[in-house]
Amino acid sequence: MSDRTLSRKMIPATKKRSQALDVWKRLRKSNSAIAGLILIFIFLCLAVFAPLIADYENDALKMNIIERLQSPGADHWFGTDEMGRDIFARIVYGTRISLFVGVISVSIALTLGGTLGAIAGYYGGKIDNIIMRTLDVLLAIPTILLAITIVAALGASILNLMIAVGISNIPGFARVVRAAVLSIKDQEFIEAARAIGSRDHTIILKHVLPNSMAPIIVFATLKVASAIMATASLSFIGLGIQPPTPEWGSMLAGGRAYIRDNMYIVLYPGLAIVLTVLSLNLIGDGLRDALDPKLK
Amino acid sequence: MIKYVIRRLMMLFPVMVGVIFLVFFIISLTPGDVATIILGDGATEERIKDLREELGLDDPLIVQYGNYMIDLVQGDMGKSYSTGLSVAGEIKQRFPNTFKLTITAIFLSVLISIPIGVISATRQYSIFDNIGMIVALIGISMPSFWTGLILIILFSLKLGWFPSGGMKGIMSLILPAFTLAIASTASITRTTRSSMLEVIRQDYITTAKAKGVSRRSVINKHALKNALIPAVTVIGLEFGVLLGGAVLTETVFSWPGIGRLMVESIQRKDTPMVLGCVIVFALSFSIVNLIIDILYAFIDPRIKSNYS
Amino acid sequence: MKGTVLKVENLAVRYVTEDGIVQAVNGIDISVEKGSTLGLVGETGAGKTTTALSVLRLIPDPPGEVVSGKIELDGKALMELPESKMEKIRGGLVSMIFQDPMTALNPVLKVGDQIAEAIKIHQQLSQDKALQKAREMLEMVGIPGARMNEYPHQFSGGMKQRVVIAIALSCSPKLLIADEPTTALDVTIQAQVLELMKELKEKMDMAMIMITHDLGVVAEVCDNVAIMYAGRIVEQGTLEEIFNNTKHPYTEGLFLSIPNIDDRKAELKPIRGLMSDPFNLPPGCSFCDRCDYAMDKCATEKPEKVHFSPDHFVECHLYPDNKEFQLKGGKG
Repeated sequence: MSDRTLSRKMIPATKKRSQALDVWKRLRKSNSAIAGLILIFIFLCLAVFAPLIADYENDALKMNIIERLQSPGADHWFGTDEMGRDIFARIVYGTRISLFVGVISVSIALTLGGTLGAIAGYYGGKIDNIIMRTLDVLLAIPTILLAITIVAALGASILNLMIAVGISNIPGFARVVRAAVLSIKDQEFIEAARAIGSRDHTIILKHVLPNSMAPIIVFATLKVASAIMATASLSFIGLGIQPPTPEWGSMLAGGRAYIRDNMYIVLYPGLAIVLTVLSLNLIGDGLRDALDPKLK
Repeated sequence: MIKYVIRRLMMLFPVMVGVIFLVFFIISLTPGDVATIILGDGATEERIKDLREELGLDDPLIVQYGNYMIDLVQGDMGKSYSTGLSVAGEIKQRFPNTFKLTITAIFLSVLISIPIGVISATRQYSIFDNIGMIVALIGISMPSFWTGLILIILFSLKLGWFPSGGMKGIMSLILPAFTLAIASTASITRTTRSSMLEVIRQDYITTAKAKGVSRRSVINKHALKNALIPAVTVIGLEFGVLLGGAVLTETVFSWPGIGRLMVESIQRKDTPMVLGCVIVFALSFSIVNLIIDILYAFIDPRIKSNYS
Repeated sequence: MKGTVLKVENLAVRYVTEDGIVQAVNGIDISVEKGSTLGLVGETGAGKTTTALSVLRLIPDPPGEVVSGKIELDGKALMELPESKMEKIRGGLVSMIFQDPMTALNPVLKVGDQIAEAIKIHQQLSQDKALQKAREMLEMVGIPGARMNEYPHQFSGGMKQRVVIAIALSCSPKLLIADEPTTALDVTIQAQVLELMKELKEKMDMAMIMITHDLGVVAEVCDNVAIMYAGRIVEQGTLEEIFNNTKHPYTEGLFLSIPNIDDRKAELKPIRGLMSDPFNLPPGCSFCDRCDYAMDKCATEKPEKVHFSPDHFVECHLYPDNKEFQLKGGKG
């Protein structure tokens, strides 16, 4: 198919720097990726400027029985919950926790899983076998169930939550990094680095990883989304962030009993989860398409 | 073919032994003394000591694990700390409910997602495709417990079509199964579409067209079977997600399955019950993956011939 | 001459991509006589495959678009046919062999079924009869009939190409389009496959379009040759005329860039530069930048056809004023 391959082949021929630029150019063309970026930017702003938007102590934490279960209105944009706290304020502060836990737990998974995957992929053979078979054991337990088990054992706290979500995502990252390393390690510039006597860890960190970033970035973006979802899920069943700390999942758990007459109480915190996760998924999808223009 | 199945079965054993050890180890990290938890703070030293001995809690972890494995092989998963009932018995009673729920959900997912994925791919960038993909993306972004609550509000509290929870008849199955199915439907749709898009660009599709095969038959006969290979993998993975999701969905809908049992047991610090539930979940997941791998060999002759 | 099987007039095809418009084929005329073989020669990207796919109306759309052109196959105007009629023609009247046998067969279907499928569609046979015929086809291309129940991955590259040939010939087409059928094969297998195709072509009295960039293949199997460059046919004639009376500088360049077995000391003279950017073709002759004979007007004016015989023409500014012009290094 000589004519069709021609236009495709022209793309990867470009150099490193302009490659990043190319990716950005293609990303910018995708409406959905831009929508995702805007959404996540709004949530980041909410997280960073939360104290300017609402008072943590008074709006988000303090019980106010007189004002409980008020419908959305001018005073309380999203209404108040069963304790009379302002739902909007709690969602704003919840953003901080969700994004923080999402990013930190993915960092844990990326560091540990990435290291294991890089070692397995780079050295291959027996080491690869041992690491991957061990991770198969982790993979045999559905991610969220593994996280639930870990938190159940360690006790519910924000740190344990991050550890649990982080650990349960290790196998995924190990696999992605391993695949990326495998696809790059036999290329000639790696041979060249080895030939001039570079040490293994230098080769992995300086040559292999930077060149296998694309799939890892995409995967990490999507995993932050699922980590946020997992955080909310665990909190919902009482194993994550403990009340009264405002967290989206535990807000849903708290409001569950009141949905018959006050559906807004679960509507808005849920929408916050959906929109955050959606924005990250949009960005992840956009990045994947931008990094791999073949499928477009 | 039989060789392949046996080989895959053999691979299941070490993984399960590893899984049980891992879960056993994680749960042993639980702070606090189990005997004290069972007997309550008011118990005498003497009684606590006796119970520790009875449960073998003073043995090294590896010995406890060994004992557990020996019992497990005989179908004994210990006794519940909180009710004293047999864990295996309790799980046996609850498992069919979870099975019913998850099987219905995965069946729904596959039934909906494959046709939508195929149509989306064959009409790439059409309105159907664009809307379908947006809906699918929202679908994977919705937490199942929230979707469940919203469905309860709409279809149970407002419209009164379905019960809001419990397990009474087919009507009570619909909302939880649907809730559980949403995320996997969305994700299988996306995979089917993208693998279909990949496949219809292949040379052998052009060969088929050049033979005069009609458009419909190119899609149904030549493209779909190839596109199903990655889709089937995702169906297997999604089953894992679905089992995890069952924990939440069962909680939301008060569905008496092992997911809810597990959550209740965690709250009661009922370690043997939690352990039992996780093992059953992991085993179900592994068996599903085994089935998927076998299915794979049926679709893709390249795998089958590797083992015949 | 026993009549014309294929007549293509003023065919133009372009691909509309995000990065711009690729003018793949820019107004070409081809005709193929019954039982004869036309060689379509040119570099990668010259528009050969696009031309072939146009005849089958299989240009991927989007991004492909047939801008203009008339295609007449065995007296039928193909561009006007509805898709359902076109399906009857593909694989029946005309069939195609693809470049890469490794990817041209469906990996999940048995080869026997893949051959039988075409037979079933075009000859309305039962499954059993079609399979019987498929077995005969397989044996005709030199593969034991018993292997029809195997899958493509169980065959070697050369064998796969034989299967592809069996599929293409299963319904005795009037025209066979072979798109670089030997390029992806080992040299030793190339000769076998080529020999097989030649033999079957004679036997079935088909016309053939042989797409290739290998002038050796052309010399072996073709009666007529069309040289394609950047979507145009720059020179066309009988095999004899093209080889012995080369007129276009590009054709000359092609000959000079292949090793000469008789004179091993002769220096290879590759064509300098790369083909023009297909997104942005120059207003004049597309070969201008690489041509040793280029004149001022080559850059600005499209050359017209100049005929040397009823069959032999060239599109080059060297000739309208001086038909006797001789290329420097040419063979003629």
